[in-house]
Amino acid sequence: MASYFSSSIGRKHILAFTGLALCGFLVTHLAANLLIPFNPQAFNTYSYKLITNPLIYVAEVGLVGLFLVHVALAFWLNFENRAARPQRYVSKKNTGRGTTPSSATMVITGLVTLVFLVLHVMNIKFGAHYTVTYDGVEMRDLHRLVLEYFSSLPNVIWYVVAHVALALHTCHGFQSAFQSLGFNHPRYTACVKALGKLYAVAIAGGFAFIAIWAYGRGGV
Amino acid sequence: MKLHLKIWRQKDTKASGKIVSYELNDVSPDMSFLEMLDVLNEQLVSKGEDPVAFDHDCREGICGMCSLMINGQAHGPEALTTTCQLHMRKFKDGDTIVIEPFRARAFPIVKDLAVDRSAFDRVVQAGGYVSVNTGNAEDANAIPIPKENADLAMDAAACIGCGACVAACPNAAAMLFVSAKLSQFALLPQGQPERERRALRMVDQMDKEGFGNCTNHYECMASCPKGIDVENIARMNREYGFAFVKARSKP
Amino acid sequence: MSDRLNSQIPSGDIRQKWEQHKFDLKLVNPANKRKFTILVVGTGLAGGSAAASLAELGYNVLSFCIQDSPRRAHSIAAQGGINAAKNYPNDGDSVWRLFYDTVKGGDYRSREANVYRLAQESANIIDQCTAQGVPFAREYGGYLANRSFGGAQVSRTFYARGQTGQQLLLGAYSAMMKEVDRGKIKMFSRREMVELVVVDGKARGVVMRNLVTGELERYAGDAVLLCTGGYGNVYYLSTNAMASNCSAAWRAHKLGAFFANPCFTQIHPTCIPVSGHYQSKLTLMSESLRNDGRVWVPKKAGDTRAPEDIPQDERDYYLERKYPSFGNLVPRDVASRNAKQACDDGRGVGKSKLAVYLDFKDAIQRDGRETIEAKYGNLFEMYNRITDEDPYVSPMRIYPAVHYTMGGLWVDYNLMSTIPGLFVLGEANFSDHGANRLGASALMQGLADGYFVIPYTLGGYLASSKLGKVAVENEAFSAAVGRAQDRIDKFFAAKGSKTVDHFHKELGRIMWDYVGMARNEEGLKTALVEIPKLREAFWSDLRVSGEANNFNPELEKAGRVADFLELGELMAKDALERRESCGGHFREESQTEENEAKRDDTNFSHVSAWEFKSVGQYELHKEALKFENVKLTQRSYK
Repeated sequence: MASYFSSSIGRKHILAFTGLALCGFLVTHLAANLLIPFNPQAFNTYSYKLITNPLIYVAEVGLVGLFLVHVALAFWLNFENRAARPQRYVSKKNTGRGTTPSSATMVITGLVTLVFLVLHVMNIKFGAHYTVTYDGVEMRDLHRLVLEYFSSLPNVIWYVVAHVALALHTCHGFQSAFQSLGFNHPRYTACVKALGKLYAVAIAGGFAFIAIWAYGRGGV
Repeated sequence: MKLHLKIWRQKDTKASGKIVSYELNDVSPDMSFLEMLDVLNEQLVSKGEDPVAFDHDCREGICGMCSLMINGQAHGPEALTTTCQLHMRKFKDGDTIVIEPFRARAFPIVKDLAVDRSAFDRVVQAGGYVSVNTGNAEDANAIPIPKENADLAMDAAACIGCGACVAACPNAAAMLFVSAKLSQFALLPQGQPERERRALRMVDQMDKEGFGNCTNHYECMASCPKGIDVENIARMNREYGFAFVKARSKP
Repeated sequence: MSDRLNSQIPSGDIRQKWEQHKFDLKLVNPANKRKFTILVVGTGLAGGSAAASLAELGYNVLSFCIQDSPRRAHSIAAQGGINAAKNYPNDGDSVWRLFYDTVKGGDYRSREANVYRLAQESANIIDQCTAQGVPFAREYGGYLANRSFGGAQVSRTFYARGQTGQQLLLGAYSAMMKEVDRGKIKMFSRREMVELVVVDGKARGVVMRNLVTGELERYAGDAVLLCTGGYGNVYYLSTNAMASNCSAAWRAHKLGAFFANPCFTQIHPTCIPVSGHYQSKLTLMSESLRNDGRVWVPKKAGDTRAPEDIPQDERDYYLERKYPSFGNLVPRDVASRNAKQACDDGRGVGKSKLAVYLDFKDAIQRDGRETIEAKYGNLFEMYNRITDEDPYVSPMRIYPAVHYTMGGLWVDYNLMSTIPGLFVLGEANFSDHGANRLGASALMQGLADGYFVIPYTLGGYLASSKLGKVAVENEAFSAAVGRAQDRIDKFFAAKGSKTVDHFHKELGRIMWDYVGMARNEEGLKTALVEIPKLREAFWSDLRVSGEANNFNPELEKAGRVADFLELGELMAKDALERRESCGGHFREESQTEENEAKRDDTNFSHVSAWEFKSVGQYELHKEALKFENVKLTQRSYK
């Protein structure tokens, strides 16, 4: 098995697989967050059920694992890619028929996303612990925390910037993952590419919408 | 027309190279790019200087020997064109043209603009063939092959092995070349008996040669003078995965 | 007739000769094969297929190529297809018919027995290549497609788009790579053969110049196979690759291998014309274009109007006029000669006036642009790329160009030259095409030689010869290295004022003017005066820069041109000696009233094999050609 994990293609498979899995996570995350503007109680209750489920630790470990593997492989491959051309070109120009702004910036958008995630977990998961009681059950008031966080303009700007980076990253990453896993066919590849763009805009747009909405509401 | 040329000069593999400037007058727009270099070399030889070394042979776009990064692009600015088929009418009077060799760790420079692409041969040695000895063949029409598959195999087999895919790839990856060869045989019934072994060995050799990894920019396809499609890379990604599983599940 | 030339043709019925011969040849015990080392020079269709097949049998093969990879040999550029007597289309083809057509197409100047064997093996080639995964064109039913080519009456040509040569070569290359992986072939690329080594009268080694380091390397073996292609580049401009040369063959010739029919060259009628003095090579456009294109020139000499402005009644569709039944589809030599004649009459077109029109206007009107695009789209695109003109709108300009050389080192039925142990395969030998090669037959011959002939005949030689060990320290090797080194030193020593290309272009001009499409006694005699003069100038006024012990393309070219300067003279000599017209060799003194080639079977039904004596001095040996199975007729395309 070691040869698979060290081979160029094996690692690409894993990078693609972890990327797509993380894309899936983002969908569920956004679906939950979209409750924020509409129903604070439902959002807090959902969060409460999620974090009190004992399986959450397994899921969190899994998620962190996916993420770490994705990041580690990306670093490893990138390091190798740089080594594959020790002497750079004096002049290098893309054809305009291959590389896209999204594909060209994968490393930088990935790094921005990485930094964002660390801050995000610190600010939200390990952020201020407010509580609220619904129907006699005391639970964490994440809704308040979110609104409070987005009442600061710098926070909103950083959040939106990070999500533009995420959009660029997933725009290339989504269709790229299909290619890496071996799915490319004249019949559906155009569809996958369109879906990737839609996904990138919808996910990043969805999250950014919540941030802007919260800011517009002017705090708790 | 008059041109300013900036050409990479490097004495041999070990020497360090540099860009040297040359001026060239009276370039005809009907010349091919290599004929333009011929004219430059004629002048250099007449002056007793060492002519610029570059690889070329058939000069009709099929042997894959010519290379060159021209203004930062493999085989120059024209799509689906080898350097030998690129004509000077694509440039303007007074243009500055930067000419470099194809660069990759797996393609060491031999001299000036000529590089060693024997890594490709070694990848093919690892499995880019059907192991059929002369005389073993049955009648050519014994196995019908659907036209669609034969055509797809031919699309892949049209690769001329020039290495533009590696040169243009931001990561110096050889995936397009290797996948084209793998695809040709994966699509044909003759390639089936060695299908898994071929995929595993060729990918392994490709990795050993020090090529980079694919990050799906598709600069390779955009630079390929024969328009080899990245669908082949997807097929290789598939082939490799299945081959790995099958090889592990064999008795 | 010469007693030095024994063709070794087996006796008996022509249909049985090869089978019987294979049985009669001695065999090398399987366990003993690994004790033999075979040196194969060149990796085109002949060399690649021979190296692979011999390695499969167990011989140790050392293979050499001049390019950076064996996959780039010039066989790769063949476009049209490969003939085989498969009769899949059920249209009456047979081994006999392919044999007959090839002998007739060669204008009765080839050996019946060789050609018959070629036709027999043709079918096996298709089988072998298909098994290798060569993606031949197929019909929707999944079976192989065939087309008619070069005016053949049956559809026997197999093809892979317009890249048949490439696909067949990559097949042979992959077979070679398989054997490299098994350790049975050692591959040496970027090597040029600069000397042959003969020990005790037998070919036992080669000296190679490592083109990267400049080192003169010695390789010893039990036999040497020259698969080094043709010598069309003697004309400077040809459809050959830049590195195609005659040097390996010429080295062998100077050591005793006879050179046969050197004047037999093929000029291909549909090439893109020369555009300027800087031109380095000519590009072939597939002959299939003549199926729909109409060839014409203005009726009036010196007409400079644009083609669209010349009305129908002022155009001369000369092929249709002169050859009403074949029209634009006359054989290559006839089409070429007529184009030259039109230009000689001052009716050539384009800037250079050395071109004729190939017009698709009528075909586009008749079949629609889409149909024409489907058939010739890639060729039109190539033409447009090179000339910047759109053949859909204005007619193409075409002109003949040197394409193939039927002559080559003389070999017997076993493909062995007059030096024992030196075998010559493919275009480098003279054996199968007579005075004119038919379309789609070059690939067939190269592969037949390599896959199906040499594995048998080489074994026969090895099994019946006493071959002692020869080491590279042998003094014959030292002498050969010395000769090679002397030549290199001489190139640098001249320190003159003119580049190699200058001399090559000048030689090309002489060859094209006097030993080209139409030859006459006066012109040939002029060439025989001018070439030695040019050779002298070459050695005194040549300038080669760079170093001997480094990658130096100028030095490589100098070596090749030095040999062309000797070969060119021999070609003129041979053309002068052959006072008849046959196939690609057209002597103006020998033509019918209708200006067609007129053979002289009484005096020239022979192979002219030249023995090297000293530079410029050759002795002619003749091998009589016997025709027991085909009836000699005069070609007519009226």
